[in-house]
Amino acid sequence: MDGTTFKIERREFLKLLAGATSGMMLSGYAFNKLTPVGQAYTDWPERIERWVPSVCLQCSGGCGLMARVVDGNVVKLEGNPLHPVNRGRLCPLGHAGLQLVYNPDRIKTPMKRVGGKGSTQWVSIGWDEAINLLAERLGELRERGQPHSLIVLDGRPTGLMGALWERFCQAYGTPNHLPTDEPDGMRIAHRFMQGLDQLFGYDLENANYILSFGCQLLDGWRSPVQLARTYGYLRQERPGPRAKLIQIERRLSPTAARSDEWIPIRPGTEGALALGIAYVLIREELYDRRFIEQYTFGFDDWTDARGQHHKGFRRLVLERYRPENVSAITGVPVDTLIRIAKQFATTRPAVAIGGAEATLHSNGAFNALAIHALNALVGNLDLPGGVLIGEEIPFKRWPPINSDAVAREGRRRPRLDRAEGDAPWLDTLPLEALGERILNGTPYEVQAVFLYASNPVFSTPTSARFAEALERVPLVVSFASFMDESTAYADLILPDHTYLEKWQDGPAPPLSGVPTLGVAQPVIEPLYETRHTGDVILALARRMGETLAAAFPWTDFKEVLMFSVRGCYEARYGRVFSESFEGAFIRQLQERGWWIPQFSSFEAFWEELVKRGGWSGLFHEYGKWGHIFRTPSKRFEFYSQRLKAELEARAERRGQPLDALLEELNITARGDEVFLPHYEPARFAGDESQYPFHLNPFHVLVLNSGSGANLPWMQEIVGLHVHVKWDSWLEIHPETARKLGIADGDWVWVESPYGKVRIRAKLYPGSMPEVVNIPLGLGHTASGRWASGRGVNPYALIGPAADRLGGLPARYATRVKISKA
Amino acid sequence: MPRWAMVIDLDKCTGCQACVIACKAENNIPFVSPEQAAMGRTISWMEVIPIVEGEYPRVRVRYIPRPCMQCDNPPCTKVCPVYATFKNEEGLVAQIYPRCIGCRYCTAACPYTVKYFNWYAPQWPEEMRACLNPDVSTRPKGVVEKCTFCHHRLQKAKEKARAEQRELREGDYVPACVQSCPAGAMFFGDLDDPMSTVAQLARSARAFRLLDDLGTEPKVIYLIEGEWYGPRKRA
Repeated sequence: MDGTTFKIERREFLKLLAGATSGMMLSGYAFNKLTPVGQAYTDWPERIERWVPSVCLQCSGGCGLMARVVDGNVVKLEGNPLHPVNRGRLCPLGHAGLQLVYNPDRIKTPMKRVGGKGSTQWVSIGWDEAINLLAERLGELRERGQPHSLIVLDGRPTGLMGALWERFCQAYGTPNHLPTDEPDGMRIAHRFMQGLDQLFGYDLENANYILSFGCQLLDGWRSPVQLARTYGYLRQERPGPRAKLIQIERRLSPTAARSDEWIPIRPGTEGALALGIAYVLIREELYDRRFIEQYTFGFDDWTDARGQHHKGFRRLVLERYRPENVSAITGVPVDTLIRIAKQFATTRPAVAIGGAEATLHSNGAFNALAIHALNALVGNLDLPGGVLIGEEIPFKRWPPINSDAVAREGRRRPRLDRAEGDAPWLDTLPLEALGERILNGTPYEVQAVFLYASNPVFSTPTSARFAEALERVPLVVSFASFMDESTAYADLILPDHTYLEKWQDGPAPPLSGVPTLGVAQPVIEPLYETRHTGDVILALARRMGETLAAAFPWTDFKEVLMFSVRGCYEARYGRVFSESFEGAFIRQLQERGWWIPQFSSFEAFWEELVKRGGWSGLFHEYGKWGHIFRTPSKRFEFYSQRLKAELEARAERRGQPLDALLEELNITARGDEVFLPHYEPARFAGDESQYPFHLNPFHVLVLNSGSGANLPWMQEIVGLHVHVKWDSWLEIHPETARKLGIADGDWVWVESPYGKVRIRAKLYPGSMPEVVNIPLGLGHTASGRWASGRGVNPYALIGPAADRLGGLPARYATRVKISKA
Repeated sequence: MPRWAMVIDLDKCTGCQACVIACKAENNIPFVSPEQAAMGRTISWMEVIPIVEGEYPRVRVRYIPRPCMQCDNPPCTKVCPVYATFKNEEGLVAQIYPRCIGCRYCTAACPYTVKYFNWYAPQWPEEMRACLNPDVSTRPKGVVEKCTFCHHRLQKAKEKARAEQRELREGDYVPACVQSCPAGAMFFGDLDDPMSTVAQLARSARAFRLLDDLGTEPKVIYLIEGEWYGPRKRA
């Protein structure tokens, strides 16, 4: 298992074969490569077998792999037993990586469009030509003083590739390195309540009570295998009382199905329920009094320096969120609410997590604030079983850049996805609004778009508009491995390697708080004329010369990786992945402040790092309360002074009073309430009288938001609980269906103000009567032979909408009507 | 001789189907076209059976991963006219493809529906043939196939143990599904070794076997969900 090579001699192999014959298989079929029955086998394969550690990069979960390579081909992917994220396990998508790498629909060479915009004619070109072409076009933009008109849409903005893109943008002179991955809505709560712009982890393994507000813990959230491992551990392995998982969600998802209690809730009212729970905690004095007094701000009424009196969180909640009021809003019965609240308060450690459907809504930011407030009420911040504020991976810092005047000028232009001007929100724009800006040429014309791990034409509402936008841009460059919906609009395609063909960093998403870095290495030689996008960036910079070339002192991405992981070697903590008993011992030492260097040189460190698959910081230091509250008050802020300052600054820049800005943002609260966690009624696209149902587009683990659709094995298992394969389905409540005269398996029309799709209905008692559910990730019009033309894409129904405060996409705020087809 | 058995803890299972795909990758199981799939011809040696119970809002979904039960008293072997399927000395229900005449008596006889018929020769795009597992044969048209408990892994484990001049140890031989289970819900080992994990789990109060009353004596043992259904009383 350590990557060494061994060769099975022919004699040995024959013996093995004899064994197999006497067993259950007969030799005639024992070679798939591939002798028909009865024909003599003459072409003996070498059968050199190697096990190569790497990282699965299909989702952002960061699982360690052991790839079994026979005769230069990967024939099986298994988990790396040493990797702390997955400990030798793998999810279905991980196994199906074989079908991704050996997919017949991969783009095999660089290509350029012939016949101008709108044509679908392509010719293969060489890499040198491709890079020269690109360098020339980008050079022209710089000469014209328009480097800012390049935008890089980056679907994988974490890790070193994200950093490399950012550096390229910096040296080239564009502020537009724009993330396109699905944002985590809880981030906004972390920012306004704790002053930290980072994703928090959750110590679920030590929690006794997990209150999930629509968080898809077992359906692909963050790191699927790690979550499943945690689930198994909580269910039957952990000694002591059984942990409880409560799933508050509008659909009986696999997570809800495996929870201890599913609480259906009216869409968009999660924040109200959280405040109702807060009411019980405060009213019955079940909150953590010591934590509230020492580490929080704005819980009780307070008076500011100017002598003005302000309302505290306690009074707001007690006045506004009595259980009966909350029950009327959410549809959750009063006794359920009180029971859950009491359990949450008394079953410590208890933790509250907000998921996408609660936080990517028209009132998502306020829901996030209300949910995160619960964690503060039980004082469960940076403690075992609580919310964890983790450390970053200690990558070595790259040398500073000396950018030239053109680049500096370009970087001064406003970022295209920043909510300024026409968009009053505080943070970023949803992708569809970005598309509109490209289309309208505001605030400036976009001359070039790079698509890296992004497919906005598939995964954006009103995607036809985004496609139009791409058609309008003179230069669209795609780095995709497949001819997906967006790549179809590219003028130049520079296909990346698949993950088993390249060097890459695989940072684990924040969960346990421990920084963990997997190292992906090429498991096989590249199958086609593809090239690592990192190498392409470096080659491009070299070709463009001057300050750009100087900013990238590396020859290939492997060097970037080696340069960066030197930081782990020099960190004076952590360890290359090791057996768990060894790791446990080292961790204990480390917790007591000891650290033993493992290697005498970086070369030895690197060799072991690659052989074992990665590096881990080993342990999380709890209770860093001096560091985790970077707010003006240096405390956890129920009353967010940062939110207040940002809103006031925004109002001032727009030259309007604060109330006018709030009016424009459709925020109903006024005064102190605005800056406290409170419930803002959700808004929906589509009028209730005309569109009586909520549309709930949900993620499916195996579809990975769309990229799993061209893997036939994934298509075969996609709709397990409703017995659907190779297709989409609409989940509808049986009683609702009966009223509409719809039987199981009937074709129906689903129509929103934005579009209409035809889909098969499946009667599912796990649907709420007023909610219908459609899976995300199917309904491709391109992306390969198995993906294309199968099922429907719910984005065709979703309206362009943003969270009213932050501007995150409101994906779950569309209403629809159903009719028999 | 060991008696190989599998234990599946339904309380830990998340229904993710990693076992299903691990099996397909390990055993060169072909995928079929959507049209064939609609006719019920998808081959899935390991299948997760979902059971939706109850009415809104008190609904539960249970997931039951179902490999071949490797019955001690298998109904399928008794009906095979050509001895293509039989119970071998280690208690595994084997399937000899070249001997199979495709009559599908066994398919009909199996109460767990684990037997799959090859309606045509398996087809892969040329590119995908490169990632087939060289340890496992592909099957021709007209034969029945099913879960083997990854028997080829046992062959390899035995060879390795012999090369190292030692006995087979627990954990040497584990089927692909068990190895891959993210939640750690699956266990594998020798039921006749009272100290093995599977033997111990099989004695649990939560243990049950599917369609036990048919007398098939399956060697896949399930552990019922913990607190939802209450501890199972021993008779």
